[in-house]
Amino acid sequence: MVCRQCKENPVIKLTNSNISLCKRCFTRYFERKVFKVIRDFELVKDVDKIGVAVSGGKDSLTVLKLLKDFSDERRGFEIVAIAIDEGIEGYRDVSLEKAREVCDSLKIELKVYSYEEEFGYPLDVILKKLDVKPCSVCGVFRRYLLNKAAKDLKVDRLATGHNLDDESQTILMNQFRDNPELSARLGPLTGIKDHDGFIKRIKPLYLVTEKEVMTYAFLKELVSGFNECPNAREGYRDDVRDLLNKMEEKYPGSKHALVRSFLQILPMFKNEFKDKSINVCGCGEPSSKEECRACYYKRRLNES
Amino acid sequence: MRVKVYVDKLRKEEELEVDSLGEVFSYFGLQKDSFIVVRNSELITLDTSLEEGDSLKLLSVISGG
Repeated sequence: MVCRQCKENPVIKLTNSNISLCKRCFTRYFERKVFKVIRDFELVKDVDKIGVAVSGGKDSLTVLKLLKDFSDERRGFEIVAIAIDEGIEGYRDVSLEKAREVCDSLKIELKVYSYEEEFGYPLDVILKKLDVKPCSVCGVFRRYLLNKAAKDLKVDRLATGHNLDDESQTILMNQFRDNPELSARLGPLTGIKDHDGFIKRIKPLYLVTEKEVMTYAFLKELVSGFNECPNAREGYRDDVRDLLNKMEEKYPGSKHALVRSFLQILPMFKNEFKDKSINVCGCGEPSSKEECRACYYKRRLNES
Repeated sequence: MRVKVYVDKLRKEEELEVDSLGEVFSYFGLQKDSFIVVRNSELITLDTSLEEGDSLKLLSVISGG
């Protein structure tokens, strides 16, 4: 098997199209595909400054590099990298090192916001004080802090490293849990309607698979060693991921089909929930309830 | 043929007697969509023929949380 276009040794076989591509052809294919998503979904339209949420992992560093390339080549916008240091010893400190290295090489400023500074304790301590699932409180605090950082830094949009695998899993999880309102918030440009308190998020990797991102990141030296969060226990998502991977192996192209068909009905989802009012918590963050989830956990931390 | 395989997610290295990459994935019980394969610092596809003495690394594509 050789690259379909230039007959070199291939580095990947695309499951969606059954085409094998070499390093050079794959890199060009991948970059064009990501840039097409940025253009087609108008992810950077009328944008002066973009925040990129970086964890130090392959997805976020790939987004950072490609948005920088896009800005340099096509239309200039300012980029700032935003990292959240949850305070997980032996995990986040390691990945932040890679984030710093890549930000330095791309000449992008990196702003680090920590749980300890914002909430008074690192996650390792928070988990000892609260009897909750690690990913629940961590996810709530990370989303809260990212939005707060994005507003502090006055960015117009916040880019994340979500890829086609992430999105296909979330679509299916929302369907299985009968939660169309959460699905309405999905898409390459998130949110149902504009809200001053919420910086819209963009997902430039929306139509590339996790394997494609890993392949690109490996070729561009954006990958450090395997590093798994010691608290990671995403039982439900892991099951859905396994299910989708099995489907993809047996019926190649299933993940693409799921996400592309979802994109067709997404406007209907958004329209269905567009008139639903959004509350603002006392802290200024948007919330579906009177008190946002972050303030709920902060209150419990103060009481503990 | 005999090959050396390192799986990063399992932090495990083993020498196996196999004929194909498919057999390597089956041996470890891994999904093909969840890993890329590196042979001598070069990425290879899953239908690449193995050679005696190959040293392989299976790198997880799934973010660590």
